[in-house]
Amino acid sequence: MTTLNATMDHMHMGNLASKAEPASKAASTSSRPLTQSDTDSDEKLLLDVGNHQSREAFNKLFERFSNKIFAHGMKITRNEQLSKDLVQEAMMTVWQKAPLYNSDRGNVQSWIFTLTRNRCFDMLRKQKRQPLCVSADDIWPAGMEDSESLVERDQGSLAVEFSNIERFLTQLPEAQQAVVEKVYLLNLTHEEAAADLEIPLGTLKSRLRLAMGKLRQLIGTSE
Amino acid sequence: MTTMKSNLHPSTEMLEKFVSGDLSVGVNLAISAHVEMCDHCKSAIQQIELRTADQWTNAESSSPAVYQADTASMIDSIIATPQLKEPIEEESEVGSIHMLDRSVKLPKVLAKAASEGLVWKQLGAGISQADVKIDEEAHCSFLYMKPGSQTPVHKHQGTETTLVLDGSMTDELGEYGKSDFIFRTNNDTHQPRTEDGCLCFSVLDSPLTFTKGLARLLNPINKLRFQRAVGSRVS
Repeated sequence: MTTLNATMDHMHMGNLASKAEPASKAASTSSRPLTQSDTDSDEKLLLDVGNHQSREAFNKLFERFSNKIFAHGMKITRNEQLSKDLVQEAMMTVWQKAPLYNSDRGNVQSWIFTLTRNRCFDMLRKQKRQPLCVSADDIWPAGMEDSESLVERDQGSLAVEFSNIERFLTQLPEAQQAVVEKVYLLNLTHEEAAADLEIPLGTLKSRLRLAMGKLRQLIGTSE
Repeated sequence: MTTMKSNLHPSTEMLEKFVSGDLSVGVNLAISAHVEMCDHCKSAIQQIELRTADQWTNAESSSPAVYQADTASMIDSIIATPQLKEPIEEESEVGSIHMLDRSVKLPKVLAKAASEGLVWKQLGAGISQADVKIDEEAHCSFLYMKPGSQTPVHKHQGTETTLVLDGSMTDELGEYGKSDFIFRTNNDTHQPRTEDGCLCFSVLDSPLTFTKGLARLLNPINKLRFQRAVGSRVS
């Protein structure tokens, strides 16, 4: 956490981290090569799709999952055409929602499995012309598991001395410290920070939310 | 919604079927609404999802469900679509049911299911019912029992899934409170009653049969009502 402490010293002097430093840092670390190999994990592929719109990574995911999606379609619908449509629908959802993937809530396999199940459910109801007031995403809501709803509110009103913030920061889990550092001290955008830390954008956002919630709690209880 | 203690949960087998998408819409609704109220089942479902996805990913396709298509053009059309940077936040309209003696805030998924409006019918003996036409294979409805009321003794030919949304009730087999999930198969004969009133969501996959007294006269009518409710032609 040396970077963090150094930067915190800047903050003491009322001198927020200058723009030049983070920009160059971001550029140097996020320009890693994007070539995919067969041994890349599903997660790396999905991150490259989500953070860099990598077609090559998407191709690989398609290769790995389309047959499994098709098999799920056949099991539920017993209809070849519908199952092919499901492959298209599910892989389209993978592409579109890749930036929202959050590794804190499960792995890539369960992410793709659940979105396949959901698309299949909706497709089948549409096909049978059943009422659509309830969709799969209502029945299996994303983040069914987190009961807390921490929203980023009143970030500006944290009237607490910097030395306190520094102390509080060190009480956060390391992963959350890293996220706060990138976004609040280095002024990276969420996308840049996610690419820098090589985590999905969704994960970054949820860690940031948790960190800010925790900080707010610490600040609140300390006074 | 705050989580309350629940004594009765869907079986592990049911949760597994829920996760894999093998259940009817009506039962899915009941389980989803229960899970929304139950931390215990929430974490169980996370585990089951990981397990199910793992099996799904590692399944050897023994009967090779060969999927062949013009992959390249499909991929082209997919990556031409824009990616989402933010989740689509849906305004969750708060849904409540207002009864004579109480207002009950519904779990989100049931509020959605009821969003097209509920038409309440008196079934007699202090019991009213509002159908939710959402499942072509099962009869889904909200059931409200006034304080001090009881249903006629009945049994089920198929299965009956009941989720208690408010109040409490008892039958020969136990006592049930808010968020309890009750699954009954055929041959269970019972007569629910309530002291303080009770609102439930109920899913029946075949008509009820009353087994005692004058209520038996209602059996042909029940059959008709069931057919109308699910909109299918049951012989």
